[in-house]
Amino acid sequence: MRTCTEATRGQWIAGARRVGLAVLLAGLVLLPLVAERGGREGMINNSTLFSLTQMLMLVTLASNWNFISGLTGYIDFGHVAFFGLGAYSTGILMSKAGWPFFPTLAVGAVSAAVAAVLIGRATMHLKGPYFSIAMLGSFAALREMARVTTPLTGGGPGLTLPPYLNRPLFYYLALGQAVLVVALYRWLKGTEFGLMMLGIREDEPGAEMRGVNTTFVKTAAFGLAAMSSGIVGGMWAYQNTFIDPDIVFLDSRTIEIAIASVLGGLGTIAGPVIGAGLLYWLRDVVWANFLEWHLIVEGLLLIAMVLLLPNGIMGLLGDRSGLDVRQAWARWFRR
Amino acid sequence: MTVRPPLLEGRRVSKSFGGLAALTDVDLTVHTGDVVGIVGPNGSGKTTLFDCVTGMEEIDEGRVFFKGCDITHRRPSQVARMGLSRTFQGIRVYRKLTVMDNMLLSRQWGDRGWLSVLRPSHPRVTERANGLLDFVTLLPQRAELAGSLSWGQQRLLEIGMALMSDPDLLLLDEATSGVNPTLVDAISDRIVTLNQAHGKTIVLIEHNIDLVADLCDRVVVFDHGEKLAEGGVGAVFEDPVVIEAYFGGRGLDA
Repeated sequence: MRTCTEATRGQWIAGARRVGLAVLLAGLVLLPLVAERGGREGMINNSTLFSLTQMLMLVTLASNWNFISGLTGYIDFGHVAFFGLGAYSTGILMSKAGWPFFPTLAVGAVSAAVAAVLIGRATMHLKGPYFSIAMLGSFAALREMARVTTPLTGGGPGLTLPPYLNRPLFYYLALGQAVLVVALYRWLKGTEFGLMMLGIREDEPGAEMRGVNTTFVKTAAFGLAAMSSGIVGGMWAYQNTFIDPDIVFLDSRTIEIAIASVLGGLGTIAGPVIGAGLLYWLRDVVWANFLEWHLIVEGLLLIAMVLLLPNGIMGLLGDRSGLDVRQAWARWFRR
Repeated sequence: MTVRPPLLEGRRVSKSFGGLAALTDVDLTVHTGDVVGIVGPNGSGKTTLFDCVTGMEEIDEGRVFFKGCDITHRRPSQVARMGLSRTFQGIRVYRKLTVMDNMLLSRQWGDRGWLSVLRPSHPRVTERANGLLDFVTLLPQRAELAGSLSWGQQRLLEIGMALMSDPDLLLLDEATSGVNPTLVDAISDRIVTLNQAHGKTIVLIEHNIDLVADLCDRVVVFDHGEKLAEGGVGAVFEDPVVIEAYFGGRGLDA
């Protein structure tokens, strides 16, 4: 006679989490069906769907950034450069060469990955803030390059892409990519490759002397994250139908993806997802009426997070696998 | 009968930092099965020699051979993968990772190609880690963060990590410094077992002269980046030059 089940508390929590995740995903998948379309009224309006798409893109970008900066500890202030390469690949190929949309994503992904491997080989032997600044420099250099190569990029006035106002399509693309990327990073973190990344974060020379080819691991991780950000850039460009150097290589985008990661929990997998979601919710709900203030509030939020919640929301939820942002920062400057 | 090359050979190795000569024309030969002690005052170049041999520091002049291959300009991970492990004077464990993850991360890499790292550690690797944690008496602490272990336990963990790759040559840098006497005995006991039962070749930097006398077949004395003396334990520690440099002229019994 069985008197009690084998299920422990941990299994219940894991089960509840899985169900919650499934419900959330199902909700996200079904959402466009209840959105307004073609004059028909819906439960959510078009701008909400647009906003959610932007949020999902931020989830992917923040996850990519966190994969590099949170797992290997290389604090990257130039990651938006790869987003920009993707945006310009799609922009140039669609508006100048008349390519259809999807092949341009592949070109953007490959060019971002190749650029990341080349830039990474040059910058990833730099330690601490030297790396951060070199990446910031690469980002600024690409922006200026987009400004001066006018025949290709349209220069300062920018490029106009063929308009395509299919909001659900962009929403599903962004959702699909976010789910795939988060699942990929979650899986990778559990593999020996992920362990090597953590080893690099904790003690890079030590890892190298214990047989880990740190250059390979760093470069591969860098290329993978950049490839994903390149794809986001392409989608963003097509959805926005217009790109110029300043809106693509936007300084605050770098800050935004870093804040989303730190807010959720640096070095955790769920952290950037939660952080990006929360950041967007705050922006849309709380700051909608204080638009010119939102960067100030974001800055204050980052300061508050560092001081009060250095392990982010995931740390608050008891996830110990992340990185204390204060320690990360202090160590980063000692390297 | 063929003459086998020495397991490790340094030929006229020189290294300077700025104007400071850390190593000058150092020759070192280690044969399979040896236990060699390296002694010398602080700053005499002992650790620098380990750094140069393992590829952590690029040497200025000279060559280093391991298993007959020139490893002078190989990167540290390549040298490690050839079967050369070391521990560190200042302890390098991954403090924020568990003891078990520290061990798994120190396995023999590169044996099954790059795709093999795209999965969790193989059960054989985990099993080996468990066995070695037992060997260094840390099995009960396997789930704890390495940074939470005591200094002596971290030394033991480092030895365990160094053994994960099943190295042919083990370089131990002050494996017993700052460790309580019970753990010193444990460590020295493990060194004997490794050499005699497992056939490991060991080079150890050590300040504990009694331990060196107990464990080593051969001693190399360093002073100011130069090899001062080399030979059997008895002969070396009675050499007046060594006594003058290392013991300040007072001798062992002073």
